[in-house]
Amino acid sequence: MAASEPSRYLARSLPRAFAPSSRAPAFCWRRNASDQASTRSPSAAINDLESTTLSTPLSEDTVKSFNPLERARARKTQLPRSRYQFRSPKYDRGPLHPHRPPPPSDPSSRLFVPGPFSLPRVAQTWQSTVAPDLLTLLYVHNPPGFKPPPKAPRLRSWDDSSPYHKNRSLRGPRGGDVLRLLRKPITFNNIPKIERITLHSYVKQAAQYDSSWLHVAGMALQAVTNVKVETFKSKTSVAQWHIAPGRDTVAAKAELRGENMLHFFGKLVDVVMPRLKDWQGVKGSSGDSSGNITFGLEPEEMALFPEIEVNYDMYPPKMIPGCHITIHTSANTDKDARLLLSAMGVPFYGKLVN
Amino acid sequence: MSSGSNGARRVASLLRPAISDPRVCRSCQETLVRRSYATASTQASTETPSTAASAFPVVKPTHTIKAGVVLSRPPQITRDLTDFEKAYYFYQKRLNERLQLPFTKYFYFKRGTPADEDWKRKIRERQTPARDIGKYNPYSKEAWNDELLVGAVESDPAHQVEMLVQDAESTVNATSQDTSKKEEIPRPFPRVTEADQKNDQRSLNRALQRTLYLLVQSKDGFWTFPSSPIVAEETLRQAAERTLEQAAGVNMNTWMVGYHPVGHYVYNFRNPSKLATGPAGEKVFFMKSRIMAGQADLSGNAQNLTDFKWLSKDEISKFVKPQYYASVKNMLADR
Repeated sequence: MAASEPSRYLARSLPRAFAPSSRAPAFCWRRNASDQASTRSPSAAINDLESTTLSTPLSEDTVKSFNPLERARARKTQLPRSRYQFRSPKYDRGPLHPHRPPPPSDPSSRLFVPGPFSLPRVAQTWQSTVAPDLLTLLYVHNPPGFKPPPKAPRLRSWDDSSPYHKNRSLRGPRGGDVLRLLRKPITFNNIPKIERITLHSYVKQAAQYDSSWLHVAGMALQAVTNVKVETFKSKTSVAQWHIAPGRDTVAAKAELRGENMLHFFGKLVDVVMPRLKDWQGVKGSSGDSSGNITFGLEPEEMALFPEIEVNYDMYPPKMIPGCHITIHTSANTDKDARLLLSAMGVPFYGKLVN
Repeated sequence: MSSGSNGARRVASLLRPAISDPRVCRSCQETLVRRSYATASTQASTETPSTAASAFPVVKPTHTIKAGVVLSRPPQITRDLTDFEKAYYFYQKRLNERLQLPFTKYFYFKRGTPADEDWKRKIRERQTPARDIGKYNPYSKEAWNDELLVGAVESDPAHQVEMLVQDAESTVNATSQDTSKKEEIPRPFPRVTEADQKNDQRSLNRALQRTLYLLVQSKDGFWTFPSSPIVAEETLRQAAERTLEQAAGVNMNTWMVGYHPVGHYVYNFRNPSKLATGPAGEKVFFMKSRIMAGQADLSGNAQNLTDFKWLSKDEISKFVKPQYYASVKNMLADR
């Protein structure tokens, strides 16, 4: 899609350039706050790139007299619709179609999602403090001439003691079927960082009583995370709670990425965690041995999030859910993930299992 | 980690077949031998074991080996946004306001409460639930006019913070029972401190957005990171810890990051009389360290230091010699 963009614009703009215009070409006097950046400090570099309109200082009265609203109101006749309204076609019918939707980054696209809205503090801390420290801590010195000792293959071959071994797929690793992730040496381009955070809350009362429990759980998760939640049906049967697989919708999940994730993590570490009562930290044995750490929050602990606290009374009593929080990191081992999280402020306690 | 000062280990390493590479230091050679021991043993029959004497010839180091400490205070607050970032984030916020579903007022304000009245008054004023995007109605016919004009303050974070605080203040005052006294909500602390205004470079409470590094001035007037020669049977990290204690006192809570140096600096003496008698120069290996609390204190230091300063990266370049800065700059954080 993107490849066809230049040709589209070119095809439109070329005839326009050659067509005789009724108005003489004039400078565009319209200026926005985003233009200020170019006139300020790095102006010398930008002057080379930009045309004259951005670099020439505007006179005071031009700035004062410019009012787009009044200009639009003073217009006697309405501008043609094509000048101010663009409706993106609903479907992309392929590169040969004359009328194609704009890319999703264009505000007029149907797929446009605004953002980012801020530069999160957690991201800045990681960039300025945590990442360099992790790189120093995880450095392994290999002197010149060092060759790592050859390792046995991860999947073993069969020893051909039986004729049935022929054409069998390779044997799993010793001591279990799980093929662990390979841990590559940590260098500047694979320093562990948080990739996404998942909040998951299993509401058994949604099957026992009614769906209002799940609605409240979804509202609470949404309020805390700023992300639309998904609901899930149970996969397993729990007889005591009258839950049948595939019948009862019992869980809500929110998946956080990017800015939402970083703001949520900041709130969790700096606002909620210090206020948890008798909480030692995240258990050291938590983790799926590939760099994702999970811990849980009780319902009364969920209520400590500022978004819930501000209108706590509006949630039906005792319906605020607890949840499991999984922090997915780009580390390949739990040890590295724990190092990253403890550098970002999550405490761990107990025996550390890797 | 790799001290190699253990006598028994040294004897054992002498007995083993060794790899002698002139580029590799003694402790690393031992590591090499130890790590490849399993593989080397299988090939031992083919290789001729070199004699112990040729494996580690005892040579006197040509340079003085020194341990240096790069003691730093990480940034304390977020950085200032550039003009472009401010304008971009603000524009995205207004776009978001235009594309969002309406605010669910009933969920946050019960009908008839003072908070509800306060909300109605405010929404009439600023026409949008968002408190930090200025007066803007995203659902009106004129919502297309969503860009700021020259000189508008709405995109400035300081202005947005002020708006949020004022909003909270007016809510508190409108909903409280006691109308006689005005409630004050504390403003955030200023991003520029007193030490910044006075340019007090000894204070740790300055340049909050930057990483600050401890530099000390020797008796000759040169500014460097604190460093001192490694004494026998001491690891680099131990030497760095001792250096810090001797140079800047014990009144600091510090954390040494890891066991490996993050940079080095080589200086060759040019004075011929010095060269004839002593080493050819000095090599400083810098260990990274973070300060958590406390302050440097030069009174009674063992290294004849006269002054200290906490400087950010671009300030360091003005104080140290260009050659020193060239070898040191890549281990310093930009921010």
